[in-house]
Amino acid sequence: MEEVILQVNHLSKSFGSNEVLKDIDFSVRKGDVISIIGASGSGKSTLLRCINLLETPSSGEILYHGKNVLAPGVKAPEYRGHVGMVFQSFNLFNNMTVLDNCMVGQIKVLKRNKESARAHAMEYLEKVGMAPYIKAKPRQISGGQKQRVAIARAMAMDPEVLLFDEPTSALDPEMVGEVLNVMQALADEGMTMLVVTHEMAFARDVSSQVVYMNQGVICEQGSPEELFGNPQRQETRDFLSRFRKG
Amino acid sequence: MNEVPELYSDILYLLDRYGGAYLSGVRNTLVLALTATFIGCLIGFLCGVLQTIPCAKTDNPVKRFFLALLRVVIRAYVEIFRGTPMVLQAVFIYYGLPYITGGQVKFSNVWVAALLVVSINTGAYMAESVRGGIISIDPGQTEGAKAIGMTHVQTMTNVILPQAFRNIIPQIGNNFIINIKDTSVMFIISFTEFFAAHRAAVGATYKYFPSAVIEMVGYLCMTLIASFLLRWLERRMDGADSYELVADDQLVMAAGTYNHPDKGTPFDERSKEYREQARQELKYGRTRGDR
Repeated sequence: MEEVILQVNHLSKSFGSNEVLKDIDFSVRKGDVISIIGASGSGKSTLLRCINLLETPSSGEILYHGKNVLAPGVKAPEYRGHVGMVFQSFNLFNNMTVLDNCMVGQIKVLKRNKESARAHAMEYLEKVGMAPYIKAKPRQISGGQKQRVAIARAMAMDPEVLLFDEPTSALDPEMVGEVLNVMQALADEGMTMLVVTHEMAFARDVSSQVVYMNQGVICEQGSPEELFGNPQRQETRDFLSRFRKG
Repeated sequence: MNEVPELYSDILYLLDRYGGAYLSGVRNTLVLALTATFIGCLIGFLCGVLQTIPCAKTDNPVKRFFLALLRVVIRAYVEIFRGTPMVLQAVFIYYGLPYITGGQVKFSNVWVAALLVVSINTGAYMAESVRGGIISIDPGQTEGAKAIGMTHVQTMTNVILPQAFRNIIPQIGNNFIINIKDTSVMFIISFTEFFAAHRAAVGATYKYFPSAVIEMVGYLCMTLIASFLLRWLERRMDGADSYELVADDQLVMAAGTYNHPDKGTPFDERSKEYREQARQELKYGRTRGDR
């Protein structure tokens, strides 16, 4: 078995009296590609945002290589540097060019020098096919292109795990493919990924594990063959059948 | 209809006798407005940034207390200096500071007093503009920066403030133009700006209207030029509307392995060939492959 990178224990999160996550347990091993599926409002995105500390969990612990990142004294920015995130709404820095977007984190956070940051950024921009656009500003490129740049930006930080928060949900249908292709390429290279998605084909074909979430709890979890081929729980079957019909 | 020539000659007369005073007034007005707007912006940015330091309930109580105190102080500053006339603030500070310190603090130079008053006043307005500019930036920008491991300070200086600054340039311009005009109230502490030149001129000549015409034109020129420059600055900051695609294979082009300038390139050859072919076709019609 590969080494456990992230271990989530008894994680709960409430917004006021609304309990969004209830006692979540799961772990991410090196090389895992875990897809988290479920209806809107089931807590998938909140789980991802808790893992990256963009939301503070109400209780429970998140162990990164065995160390609890919720403990007092742990520097959140440093931890976030190891756990990349790709957002539904891209969140590219609007005041920078494509290349600067991929360089600024390396220079300011990882303290790399300009030349090596640039070389490293170009490596990933070429991989996602955005190298010709390095001089463009985010407002000048399409949604699919923005998301590919966002992936390159996250990868340029050399994270151990990459979190994807519905990376294709804000895209036009014809742009979904280009982003999924890039993600598949990353998965094939052995990148550890945690993907919240509504793309069932991606979850089935690319991921090594699928987690089905329903109403703030992990309802069912297993390999894609098990979960899609032979779902054990009634809720999972209902959810999947809705997708099959559509 | 001999008013117009009369006005003309009056203006010439005033310019001839008081031209130097008007000009130095313009200079003083511009220097004061520009410097005070700049310092005011610095104050505004400082206040705006300090006011938007995030404060979670889980932070330690000492930090929370100081942040709350800071917000109260800034709030009081903004309300006091935004809520009273600048002409009064000038009197208050220029005569007040020596008064309450028993002559310990005195303004040796009226410039210092004028700069202080206008800067503080501008700062109060800018503090709110900057705060608005910062909170108007999409929270996604902050999240994007946090997600690649940036601290709050790094996020602010690299991502949020550059965008907020771009958004509040119109506000800075507004304040600059207001300052050009409103520094005229500094005559109350006998600062000799452009409007003071008018007071001096009409005090001696009683030519109120001709001098007012000069003043109107003078102020309008200053503010129009300021607006124009600010628009230009905005356009420059936005950068080009288009962007260049960068050739995939940069090395080939950059390394100069392909050709010597005198030799031409294979592309030239081909285009010459095409040109020749096209010419032949025009002359004799198509020679090959058709019909």
